[in-house]
Amino acid sequence: MIELKNVSKKYKNGVHALRDITLTIEDGEFVYIIGPTGSGKSTMIKLLDGEEVPTEGSVVVEGVNVGKLRHSKVPLYRRNIGVVFQDFRLLPKLTVFENIAFALEVIGMSKADIRHRVRKVLELVSLEDKAKSFPNELSGGQQQRATIGRAIANHPKVLIADEPTGNLDPQMSAEIMELLEKINEVEKTTILMVTHDSTIVDRFKKRTICLEEGYIVGDIMKGGYIKRD
Amino acid sequence: MIKFFKALPRLIKTAFYSLARHLAMAMTASSVVAITLTVLSLFLLLAGNIEVVTESIQQDLQIHVVLKNNVTSKKQLDQTKKAMEDIENVKKARFSSKDNELELMIKERGDAFKIYRGEKNPLSHGYFVSVKNTKEIKNTTEDIQKIKTVKDAKYGGTSVSKLVSVLEAIHKGGIIFIGLLTLLAIFLISNAIKLTIYARSNEIAIMRNVGAMNWYIKIPFMIEGMLIGLIGSIVPCLITYFGYQYIFQLFSGQLEHTMFQLIPVVPFTFKVCGIVLLGSMIVGFVGSMFATNKYLKVNR
Repeated sequence: MIELKNVSKKYKNGVHALRDITLTIEDGEFVYIIGPTGSGKSTMIKLLDGEEVPTEGSVVVEGVNVGKLRHSKVPLYRRNIGVVFQDFRLLPKLTVFENIAFALEVIGMSKADIRHRVRKVLELVSLEDKAKSFPNELSGGQQQRATIGRAIANHPKVLIADEPTGNLDPQMSAEIMELLEKINEVEKTTILMVTHDSTIVDRFKKRTICLEEGYIVGDIMKGGYIKRD
Repeated sequence: MIKFFKALPRLIKTAFYSLARHLAMAMTASSVVAITLTVLSLFLLLAGNIEVVTESIQQDLQIHVVLKNNVTSKKQLDQTKKAMEDIENVKKARFSSKDNELELMIKERGDAFKIYRGEKNPLSHGYFVSVKNTKEIKNTTEDIQKIKTVKDAKYGGTSVSKLVSVLEAIHKGGIIFIGLLTLLAIFLISNAIKLTIYARSNEIAIMRNVGAMNWYIKIPFMIEGMLIGLIGSIVPCLITYFGYQYIFQLFSGQLEHTMFQLIPVVPFTFKVCGIVLLGSMIVGFVGSMFATNKYLKVNR
């Protein structure tokens, strides 16, 4: 479960990114966070994965108060959440297999278990034939699938995706969405997806939270992109 | 801790892999290390030799005491020895019989003196006195001359004692210089390693994103830094060993039998290489630890 209570975030340069956000996301939900550029979407992601600390209020994910974590404990927390970044953030000198394996190595999984799990993940994200490729040898969609594979490799309870379709064409985007839906159903992972893409939000209808200038301006359970005039 | 030891083989492997995958970067850092260490080891060789030469000159700088001709009984000799050793600056008085004195004279002045061997030896017994402080040698010699049984006492002369003090000054300066050079080496090496890590600060952030603990990220970098130091010290070590051997052979023909003898190649160059090798590995290890720490702190 994700709980944000009266969360505000003000950056040092004076930008007030989030204002008094209160929000609860239950286990197993699939939620979109939409809003124009500068509405605070990215800040929300950063608060959730521990990259930033809220100025006020508390962010609690799976019982962990993320803002209160010590610097050295942040990685430990991140093992329970998977994050998919818009810019992929794959380790450039490691192959796809090694990139996914790395997330498992750091939690001390045994070699045999890692090999088993990575193969399963590669199958899930349909990259079996690219296991030995380096990130720069892959298309954008393939790289994004690799990051999704890495994010879900150690069975996180929450998956946060920051514009996972941002750099992809519509067909690729649909593939990624189907993959995320599959993960949501099969692994029962809570998914939080930030997006700009109105076609996706309209086509794959989910709970949709709309941010604007740091406020929540809409939280629609049945989904669909909010049209404003 | 158990986790640490379980992960260690993997971490070491990672270090080797990333060294191979960032070969150009590692080689750049290694060559910076190599150049710095070559200069350092040259000065270590020089300072080591100056130290030994100074010591050997100081050892040569002893007072030669000649006793009066009639001083022959054991009691008289013991009394003289005690009288000399009672002087504060005297370290040791070594007895030299008149036969021994003659042999020394033959060695110094030529075979013509061989005819005096045996009963005809006109010399008297003597002593070689070493002193604690060479600067005071003149006064000590005068003190010895005052002893009744002593006929004469001489030392190498003022020029030698001046040479000693000059060499001592050079040695002291050399040690300070080596100290500064070491600091410079540490600075250069750790900066070179910092550069290789800076190029990969992005990787460090990603590792934290994926859930790698700080130590897990740091250790491969530290091992890599140590390896860069190790690779960088190979060339300086070879230069030290073969270069010094060459110089030693070049000079050993000409400088033999003088006090300016170079230190023998084998244990000496190994020691210098050991210092260079160990030092660069430690600096690489610690330097990359600091550099990684810095980039770990950039992102939460």
